[in-house]
Amino acid sequence: MVSLLARNKQSFGPRRERPQYLHVAIGTVIALFVYPLLYGALEDSALISIILFNFLYVFTIFPLDGPLWRKVCLLLFGNMIGWAWNFIELSFAIIATYYFGDAFNIVHFIGGPIVNSIWIVAIWSLGLSTLSSEKP
Amino acid sequence: MELIFFFLIAFMVSYLIRHYVFTFAALYHRCKQPGYIPNSIIYQPKVSVLIPARNEENVIRRILQRMTELTYPRQKLEVIVIDDASTDRTGEIAEEFAEKYDSIKVIHRNVEKSGRGKSGVLNDGLRHAKGDIIYCFDADYYPQRDILEKLTAYFTDPKVGAVQGRVTVLNEPNTLVTRLVTLERIGGYRVDQQARNSLGLIPQFGGTQGGFRRQLIESLGGFNPKMLAEDTDMTFRVYLAGYKVRYANEAECYEEAVENWNSYWRQRYRWAKGHMQCAFKHLWPLIKCKNLRLREKVDGFLLLNIYFVPVLIWLAWIIGIILCFSSPSPWFTFLLASMPLYAYSAVGNFAPFFEIGIGAYLDRRTRVCWLIPLLFVTFLYSTLICTKAFIDLCISKIKGEEQHAWLKTFHYGRGNDYIRNLNDNGQ
Repeated sequence: MVSLLARNKQSFGPRRERPQYLHVAIGTVIALFVYPLLYGALEDSALISIILFNFLYVFTIFPLDGPLWRKVCLLLFGNMIGWAWNFIELSFAIIATYYFGDAFNIVHFIGGPIVNSIWIVAIWSLGLSTLSSEKP
Repeated sequence: MELIFFFLIAFMVSYLIRHYVFTFAALYHRCKQPGYIPNSIIYQPKVSVLIPARNEENVIRRILQRMTELTYPRQKLEVIVIDDASTDRTGEIAEEFAEKYDSIKVIHRNVEKSGRGKSGVLNDGLRHAKGDIIYCFDADYYPQRDILEKLTAYFTDPKVGAVQGRVTVLNEPNTLVTRLVTLERIGGYRVDQQARNSLGLIPQFGGTQGGFRRQLIESLGGFNPKMLAEDTDMTFRVYLAGYKVRYANEAECYEEAVENWNSYWRQRYRWAKGHMQCAFKHLWPLIKCKNLRLREKVDGFLLLNIYFVPVLIWLAWIIGIILCFSSPSPWFTFLLASMPLYAYSAVGNFAPFFEIGIGAYLDRRTRVCWLIPLLFVTFLYSTLICTKAFIDLCISKIKGEEQHAWLKTFHYGRGNDYIRNLNDNGQ
């Protein structure tokens, strides 16, 4: 039979937070508002990358503790990076296709999504690291 | 072909959703499931600590010294070092400690029996153990002083068959590999294990820094020496026998992580192959089992198949490209473009980047988040490891081989400097 001998003076509780639903709602509205602005200005895979980034960012970063303005700024910053990334990637692809021929299009088609996923992860990580301070 | 592609994408998306649920649960879920035990309770039965060791002279002194410093009552503690025919000074160092401390015993294995894996070594230790609860610690581990009190408290629940503590990396600043392993550990333990525990799913017994009821392990016939991942095998055997595994996040233990890509390959290859062995062995019994709830079955199914995901990612990528060129449609383009993210979310020792990030956030270690993009390297590396393990396992199944080579991880003892720092800081 189990015997409970004493109680430990220390108590250990994992850190818990309350989700910031209002922030998520505001983030969703902003993300939806950004989409029509970018539609037509970007190629398909870049637009998909930005949609995925917005979805992930809003549903993982916005519920956390932290000032809303900082979250919104980083979301918009991420979208700008996505746009700029696409611009650079397209420029590179055009030049590379000019020199290497149509074969590069296939490489671009296959490798493009992987390259896009890297900026998503990098900007997401940057956003998270600015939200809370390091443990002393 | 289209159907296969959609099935593969659905499979990957299910892992993405699973990890998102875990992340959310680790952040916000409070432990409300029945039978939750507040970890402020102290329950102190007789316990045995098994330390399997093979050529561990660089680290064995460290853990044995720590065993003498544990706060668990000395008369209720038994430490058994199982020297697996080491060719270095491991046995000698363990004997030095055994002479000095009554609670420490050493078992020396024959050369003929040695080098065949951890399961056999642990089974030898089990034969000599007298405790009601049996704990396992690898030789490179360094636990908190009160770790046994924290872990043992969970056994007050009679349904708990095994308990697992949290592993953190000791030699984190050493190399890029140790830093990336640290990220994987944060995601795997702080979020993944914690969430599975909170949601009443299947937290995994990790084979070290954890314990189980002696009665249960004896009734199960000990560890299976044919399994490379004896820990995953034990997890499922415990659940199929009607018991639970619990995860204690507050019970922390340092480990010396692998320091180079070669060691990383050897360790993960063994894990991948062992895990796939377990999938072949336990999938059907898991589906049929009447002891488990539906959510446990679903989680068990996804857990067992996780090392197959990298193999399926290659397959989906190839099929997706063929489909995009042969019958281009916006849907295929969308799925193919979003696939790297699913892949990113399923591989990297199988904790996605946002899970790792949130784990670091919960630990207040936000600076490590800057390394998360580099997990892409471990992602690519893991896909190769898992694919090789899958092919090798299929070949050995065809050949009818049951015994698999055990690739031991070598420990350099470079974490000793960090231990000295910890001790100097009074931790």
